Amino acid sequence: MNVFGLANADAVLPGVKAGDPAAQEALYRAFEAPVFNLARRICRTTEDAEDVLQETFLEVFRSIGNYRGEGSLWGWVRTIASSKALMRLRRNKYRETDELQDDVTPLRREDTALRMDLEAALERLNGTSRAVVWLHDVEGYTHEEIATLMNKTVSFSKSQLARAHARLRRWLGEEVPA
Amino acid sequence: MTHLTIEQLLALREPGLEPGVQGWRDHATACELCRAELDRLDQRVARIRALPTLQPSRNRFADIQAQYRRGRTRRRLLTLSLGGLALAATVTLAVVFGPRIGGDPATAQLAEQQELDDIIARSRQLESVIEDYNPDRRVTDGRTAVVAASLEDRLARLDRQLQLVNLMDQRVRPQEALRLWRERVGLLDALMDVHATGATYVRY
Repeated sequence: MNVFGLANADAVLPGVKAGDPAAQEALYRAFEAPVFNLARRICRTTEDAEDVLQETFLEVFRSIGNYRGEGSLWGWVRTIASSKALMRLRRNKYRETDELQDDVTPLRREDTALRMDLEAALERLNGTSRAVVWLHDVEGYTHEEIATLMNKTVSFSKSQLARAHARLRRWLGEEVPA
Repeated sequence: MTHLTIEQLLALREPGLEPGVQGWRDHATACELCRAELDRLDQRVARIRALPTLQPSRNRFADIQAQYRRGRTRRRLLTLSLGGLALAATVTLAVVFGPRIGGDPATAQLAEQQELDDIIARSRQLESVIEDYNPDRRVTDGRTAVVAASLEDRLARLDRQLQLVNLMDQRVRPQEALRLWRERVGLLDALMDVHATGATYVRY
């Protein structure tokens, strides 16, 4: 994350509100990587994540007048990005069945060659579970906030997180033998 | 007590104290297996957080800027088109009543007025088609966006010129208005081509 850029992002706010291209570019540079990273971790493909990046900044530039300075600017941008990424996820209707049948072919602990690395295991999760893991564990959203973003219940968010962790634990070979 | 479930272990990591959590916490402190499981969960989350930040393959700012400018120009065009209507009415009045005030009505002037009416109608039609297409809601490639933005900039400049026509001498006003409206229709035609075909080269 571009910490220098994030720290200075507030300084360019008046310029962005006035539609100044240089200020817009400075804001883009500050938030480009974290927005793309968030989008890519939620969306299935790089192309989708790049579209989310574009849609997020368009929305930010159009709606910057609505940002009243309550909460951090990054928090505001991140909510827009999360919402766009989740919309993209819904729009593409990723099939839940794209998750491999892990229950049918459980990984054996001693079979280290089959043990996945973390990136691959996250990729293997279905879109909704992966989004909940990322929003909760990395971005720090609460279950209530995730429920609002996804238009679901708090228990839905909690159960998605639990399911995802149970699977990650198995795929990463972290299960303790009975 | 049986060992903690993944839901219960996750609840221990949440802020606040939900009902039953204290009992689970006490269990995790006393039970070596559950404590180890909680440690593994913490480590897994820490590893997820430590994953590298992914970067976009290319700089998208130019595309975003072009699309933003296009949206802004479109909103401006919409505002100006109301002014355009008023202007068209003024010009038409000048063409129709000007010759009567000045003397004999000329056939050429009537033909000119007819052409002006037609061309304003065509301009409205094209604008309406572009509005229905709603390019703002579509993700376009960078080069198309740049060409569209450039055409919309020219349209905005043209509309400012059209507003100034009103201040011109009445004798040259109709001809100048006709010339500008023709140019406007040409630009709108080109813009529609760009949106419809993604053309990145336009003749206009």
